[in-house]
Amino acid sequence: MTGALLSVRDLHVTFPSERGPVEAVRGVSFDIHRGRTLALVGESGSGKSATAMAAVGLLPPNAKITGEVSLDGRELLGLSDRQWSGVRGKRIGVVFQDPLSALTPILSIGRQLADAVRVHTDLSKKQAWTRAVELLDLVGIADPATRAQEFPHQFSGGMRQRVVIALAIANDPDLIIADEPTTALDVTVQAQILDVLEVAKAETGAGVLLITHDLGVVAGHADDVAVMYAGRIVERAPVKRLYRAPAMPYTLGLIGSVPDPHATHRRPLVPIDGEPPSPLDRPPGCPFAPRCPLVVDACRAAEPELIPIEDEHTVACIRAEDVVGQRPDEVFEGALAAPARAVDAEPVLRVRGLGKTFPITKGTIARRQVGTLHAVSDVSFEIGPGETFCLVGESGSGKTTTLLEILRLRPPETGTVEVLGRDLATTPAREIATELRRAVQLVMQDPQAALDPRLPVFDLLAEPMRAAGFEAAAIRTRVTELLDLVGLPPDSLDRFPAAFSGGQRQRLAIARGLATKPRLLALDEPVSALDVSVQASVLNLLAHLKNELGLVLLVVAHDLAVVRHIADRIAVMYLGHVIETGPAEQLFAAPRHPYTQALLSAVPIPDPERERARRRIVLSGEQPSAAALPAGCVFADRCQLRPTLSEELQNRCRTQRPALRDPDEVSGVSEVSGVDVACHAVNPPSDLTRAASGKEGRP
Amino acid sequence: MFRYVVRKAVGWLVMIIVATNATYFLASWFLDPRSNYRDLRPVRTDEQISNALAPYGLDPRTSVLSRWWHWLTDVVTRFDWGHSPTGVPVNSELPHRILVSGQLILVGVVLSVVLGVALGVYTASRQYGAVDRVTQTLSVVLYNVPTVVSALGLVLVAISLNQHLGFTFLHVAGANTAGGVDGFWPNVLDRLNHLILPTVNLTLTGYVSWHLTQRALLLDALNADYVRTARATGLTRAQAIRRHALRASLIPTATSIAFTIPAVLTGAIITETVFGWEGMGRYFIQTINKNDVHGAVAVAAFGAVMTAIGAILADIATVALDPRVRVS
Amino acid sequence: MTDVGGDVLGGAVGAPSLRLGRSRLYLRRFARNRGALVGVVILVLLIGYAAIGTVFTPWSWSDQDFLALTQEPSRLHPLGTNQGGNDMLAQTVHGLQRSLVIALSVSVLTLLIAVVVGAGAAYLGGRVERMTLMVIHFLLVVPSFLILALVSNQVAGDWRVLIVVLTLFGWMFTARVVWSVSTSLRERDYVLAAELMGVSSWRIVVRHIIPHLGALLIVNFTLGVVTTVLSETSLSFLGFGVKTPDVSLGSLLADGAGTISSAPWLFASPAALLVLLTVSMTLIGDGLRDALDPTSTAGGRG
Repeated sequence: MTGALLSVRDLHVTFPSERGPVEAVRGVSFDIHRGRTLALVGESGSGKSATAMAAVGLLPPNAKITGEVSLDGRELLGLSDRQWSGVRGKRIGVVFQDPLSALTPILSIGRQLADAVRVHTDLSKKQAWTRAVELLDLVGIADPATRAQEFPHQFSGGMRQRVVIALAIANDPDLIIADEPTTALDVTVQAQILDVLEVAKAETGAGVLLITHDLGVVAGHADDVAVMYAGRIVERAPVKRLYRAPAMPYTLGLIGSVPDPHATHRRPLVPIDGEPPSPLDRPPGCPFAPRCPLVVDACRAAEPELIPIEDEHTVACIRAEDVVGQRPDEVFEGALAAPARAVDAEPVLRVRGLGKTFPITKGTIARRQVGTLHAVSDVSFEIGPGETFCLVGESGSGKTTTLLEILRLRPPETGTVEVLGRDLATTPAREIATELRRAVQLVMQDPQAALDPRLPVFDLLAEPMRAAGFEAAAIRTRVTELLDLVGLPPDSLDRFPAAFSGGQRQRLAIARGLATKPRLLALDEPVSALDVSVQASVLNLLAHLKNELGLVLLVVAHDLAVVRHIADRIAVMYLGHVIETGPAEQLFAAPRHPYTQALLSAVPIPDPERERARRRIVLSGEQPSAAALPAGCVFADRCQLRPTLSEELQNRCRTQRPALRDPDEVSGVSEVSGVDVACHAVNPPSDLTRAASGKEGRP
Repeated sequence: MFRYVVRKAVGWLVMIIVATNATYFLASWFLDPRSNYRDLRPVRTDEQISNALAPYGLDPRTSVLSRWWHWLTDVVTRFDWGHSPTGVPVNSELPHRILVSGQLILVGVVLSVVLGVALGVYTASRQYGAVDRVTQTLSVVLYNVPTVVSALGLVLVAISLNQHLGFTFLHVAGANTAGGVDGFWPNVLDRLNHLILPTVNLTLTGYVSWHLTQRALLLDALNADYVRTARATGLTRAQAIRRHALRASLIPTATSIAFTIPAVLTGAIITETVFGWEGMGRYFIQTINKNDVHGAVAVAAFGAVMTAIGAILADIATVALDPRVRVS
Repeated sequence: MTDVGGDVLGGAVGAPSLRLGRSRLYLRRFARNRGALVGVVILVLLIGYAAIGTVFTPWSWSDQDFLALTQEPSRLHPLGTNQGGNDMLAQTVHGLQRSLVIALSVSVLTLLIAVVVGAGAAYLGGRVERMTLMVIHFLLVVPSFLILALVSNQVAGDWRVLIVVLTLFGWMFTARVVWSVSTSLRERDYVLAAELMGVSSWRIVVRHIIPHLGALLIVNFTLGVVTTVLSETSLSFLGFGVKTPDVSLGSLLADGAGTISSAPWLFASPAALLVLLTVSMTLIGDGLRDALDPTSTAGGRG
């Protein structure tokens, strides 16, 4: 195609490694046009980041790059560092993934921006500073003149990402490369940053190369999509076409494995078996063949070429014709069935008014307390048998602290925790250690960190059982049972965690959590460290185990899409408080609390048509620190509803903390929904309702 | 920022005071001034010896605490650091020795830091290049050469050089030529010539740790995400290193200056011994051999002051490099 | 995907092909480091020299050959003799033994103190931790060599006392390292996981903390030997360490220093032994660090 802004042809990137050369990118070609966004989608190791970095010449010097990368017809590969520096920042701006480390810690924000401007212009320092302040204003930073003088550590994560975007557009580039721009951010902040990116694109008229693994983000922001797998593009199409009629089983599986929080009913989630191949021993033929349900012998013979099947839709699959028009769950087997409903009975876990604070101290020798961090305040919930309960919130909401406070099985700082009907404050420590401990077990977020790398699998699995006083013989038989239960090969016992892939490690961690045959299994972000295509199979395993073993699951997660998929009931947390709780179906169908509404709205839908059609709520600001809790509603400062409220109600929000109550009970609706909300606007206190109506009546 | 440095300086002052007083008690415990008189003829009784020591505040019959109090009062009120067991005032030994050792240590430290950091920066930006490999090997070897060996090695080299040239090109002993040289400039030149070898020795043994740590620090900084961001704005690699990575990587280096001064002092003692310099290092050895409590304490105080000066300079450098300290 | 290379290699680390036993893996990584192998060879030769070096000479280290005072290396005295007519080969063998014994024992002892103090401070936390750190920092900036000289001069001469003194003033740096590593270990997820599974504290320390400190301790042991050799040399050279009639490499150096231009062989042999000893230990230490550190990439560049 002619007239492309950026044109990449047959790009190859190879890194040297201890075990031979690693081919990260193997023959990638694509074009980007002005004002359009191309999304490069893939999982970790797919080569998408290496492709992007090759296009800006920022790969490490030991990388071997061949092919063609041209910008407006000018070949970029082979440029010297000095020549590159005339292109980077001026023609191409880059937004990096992790805003926490992307800014120089010892230079002020304004200085970094002004420097970036001055690299390509001959503005004076003062003029450049003025431009820096303008840029900060453009990316939505309040009070930019003052904030320009501050340093990165004084900025929150979302604010820093805005600065990184400002850096990228400082010189009005023709191309913006955004490498996982929102991956490290909370979901409500992600929505803001994606908007800022749209502003930046509109402002500069640039083409955008968006690197991401998130199909939801792609649906909302890309014009064209290229799916990468094992270093190659395996499918390329305009965004709507790709979601409507994917032609490569991998794309189909990927779309099918992403949970949709906005779906009207729970759609089965398809798992893709196995994991992406290691770049060191890729199978011959199609790299997806070992995981593909439609594989035929010809797939393994030769790697398929990328061929057009329709206008602008190309795919590298010899079975493309059989794939188009299929639903993910028709192709992939073992779709996740909806979990069984909860039964009313004695709760397994009952938490009442749980609170936890941490002192904030200052000074090294004479340490004095200068404040209190209210990590968790007045949290209450119950979990019944056979139920899956999810604590949902963004980082800093206190959800993990809540989980740990329960799992420590110690009397809490404030409130009560009852496990299997026994109050931790009154149960003797011996009984807790012998009876309750084995009934409550944990699976942590990152299996790589949670499994001691120096212990073999047998010892890892045996450890909780030894702690619970199991007999040696019983441990030996149980260990093999466990491997079978989570689907790991029986010869894994004398291997070390490093010998397993990410998904296998999480299975191992789950096996470890199940070792003592617990009643309650607590999971802290069980899939957030895993690749998208692997997440579904782990979620399926959890659902299977739950049904099989009658487990009660307590899941802490930030990803509403995942929660949507496994939860029976949900509690949404903000700044240490539960602000809404209720059955999952109801909560997703009709969220009551403004924060829940915003949170749900912030999650992108993996469907371009619905994603672009819907109206979104974008919150301002970020979750503040729990060091100084406001007197009133903890969400009041960011509440999108508040400006629309009456003055009395606004005042009430500021001064009085709302209690968690059933809104329908108050408003006198007879049907009880089981939903509790902590919001003055949803639950107007009776006296205020009366006062308000009284006022209206007066002239 | 000013308050930050002052607060730190006060902390170091406290350190000097504590260290010096602790040394007083240690020295009083381990050094016995009476032994200086025991070998004298005619043989004296213990009482005679103690009487002789009494005017210098070294009389073992009075309690350590009261001797200490005396000593401390003299130091604080008159800056009088006491006398040796044979009655030589410590103050008369100090000025020229401090000058001699001070110039050696100062020049040595400055050269070590400059050379080490420069090498570290140069090699880090050319990792695994020829220069990097060669200097790395050299530094690892030098790191393992005891100061004694390197000093004596330098002496050997200088002597053979002098013999080869047929005149004294490099002086290997003393801080200046005995008997002095006529004229101001010849005198300065003479002193500088004497300074060369000891300084080279201190630098050779001192630069290594700076080189290796600065190299490691800058390598870490080079791989930092913010350097990539800086390059993405259009800086060349060299510019990004200079403007972003270098300054950040210098901060821990500056902070660690304080912790290296004790090692430099040790090196200075040995260097002075080998090259026959009458500085504080030699003085320390003499005071210990002569059981001179007050002299030894004065040297310890000198060491503590040097450490504190290094530390305060480090703090100032940290503040200059790291604007975040100024903000908070 | 902060690191492009890491992103790509991420999959490689988890590849199931990695099935070597751990000790064999360490050994292989160590053996690939050429410097470390050279270090091992030198060290073995040195230990051999200290153990059986006396077979090369009929003289004992304390024998005096009055017919050969300050003689150059010759057939009778392969490394020459000193002013007292002592055979230098016998003297260096004995000196090397002394220096090795002192260095090894001090390293072991300082490591023990450092582990107890460092790990203890990290484990106890709170006020104890802060006070311990303050003391360590204080001792680190105090010119400890001066105090070392002051103390050892009065009580030393005996190498056993020297060991005690060097230990007392040599543990701080390692203690600080152990402390900082222990605090990071204390925060590891798998320690928290074990705690929440009800594993007892001592089991956590034995199972999860000490094995991870192990690599660090081994490396610090080898580097501690180097530091001790250097300190002992300095002390003995200045006359505060091992004293006549006993000899160490440091005191031999001191003897040789006075006659450096007239009898350089007196200085050369102990100096060479010293440098070989410290260089070999450093090379071994570096090799061990690279081999035992699971994140080290040093193996890949050779």
